Amino acid sequence: MGIHLYRIDDRLVHGQVVVGWGQPLNARFLVLVDDLVASSDWEKELYRMAIPPEMEIYFADVGGAIRDHARYAADPRPGLLITGDIASMYRLVKGVKAIGSVNLGGIHHRAGRTAKLRYIFLTPGEEGQLHDLEAAGVEVTAQDVPSARAVPLAEVLEGESQ
Amino acid sequence: MTAPTSSGADLPVRVKFAMYFRLLAMQGSWNYETLNGTGIGFTMEPALRYLPGGIDGPAYRAALARESRYFNAHPYLAGIAVGALVRAELDGVEPARIERFRTALAGPLGSVGDRLVWASWLPFCSLVAIGVYGAGGSPMGVVGTFLLLYNAGHILLRAWGLRIGLSRGLHVASALGNPVLRQGPQYIGCAAALVAGVALPLALQRVAGPGLGLVGGIIGAALIGIVLLARLREHAEGWRIALGVLAIFVLYSVLT
Repeated sequence: MGIHLYRIDDRLVHGQVVVGWGQPLNARFLVLVDDLVASSDWEKELYRMAIPPEMEIYFADVGGAIRDHARYAADPRPGLLITGDIASMYRLVKGVKAIGSVNLGGIHHRAGRTAKLRYIFLTPGEEGQLHDLEAAGVEVTAQDVPSARAVPLAEVLEGESQ
Repeated sequence: MTAPTSSGADLPVRVKFAMYFRLLAMQGSWNYETLNGTGIGFTMEPALRYLPGGIDGPAYRAALARESRYFNAHPYLAGIAVGALVRAELDGVEPARIERFRTALAGPLGSVGDRLVWASWLPFCSLVAIGVYGAGGSPMGVVGTFLLLYNAGHILLRAWGLRIGLSRGLHVASALGNPVLRQGPQYIGCAAALVAGVALPLALQRVAGPGLGLVGGIIGAALIGIVLLARLREHAEGWRIALGVLAIFVLYSVLT
């Protein structure tokens, strides 16, 4: 089993993750990879409350996730891994090698970002980071929920015209 | 000019009511850039007038701008965020801490709300309404039952959320551990299964009427539905299916 979905989502744990993806994938554990959350007890307490009783959550900074990835991948239960930004996922991909695909689930509006899809807003720097991810041999697609179409990176970067 | 208030819990009742009624309209400004962020700012605004300097002061403007930025949570549980953030702003918590808290709170509220409402409460209410149809209810009775039950749930949830947010402020995480929120979806799911077991046969019996004329067709339609659900798997969303089935029964009862 192991990790079925590697997702970049600035909301980290929320409904689309727990209900949208968690239920159809029958996910039983979730790895939240975020350097700030991993070092903050009150934030960890909040995210624990977001998880249904039948699901387990692990918190890790990027270094810890790279170190423990083999354990997550060998877990007999299906799981999800989430980072809050592209840079963290890129560091993880460089450190793990075994990650074949990454899902863009939500990178939302902020000053300096432009709309690519209704749930993907990127700065030019972040577009470059996504190119780097793909150049590292990872398939990058955008798909907020399983019922939506997986949009390839090239199409995402073309923007809202699609 | 309004007198400064030290804490969200001390706000006048009329201000709490104003925030509550604004909560009902929160989704009105929903958009893909800020999602329900502007709704959060709009809902908090009556309380932010109690910041030092009132509506002409820099504290009010800074807080309103801060709270109107991007935010994404379940609308029925957003009252928890509104209450907690109002209290943090009125207590003078530093802006960086408020922004970090705001970011961290959104996801859990979305997760808990989606499980409780979209995945549990809404399908449950739809099934109860189908049961009313099966028991011989009129189209108005079916629709009325659904609307009454469903709206009672979210109206109470919003009121509880606002109250708990105002009283606990930044320590609101423990409120998300409330058994209704943690175990509720599981129990509502069990209740929905029980109601489905009673309601669907009754409703189908009413559709079939006396005799066995339509029984073959109903069994065929049920089998097609099962195959479709099995094939669609993750593409099928429970709340859409539940509302769709309810709509079919209401339409059928109006037309026959």
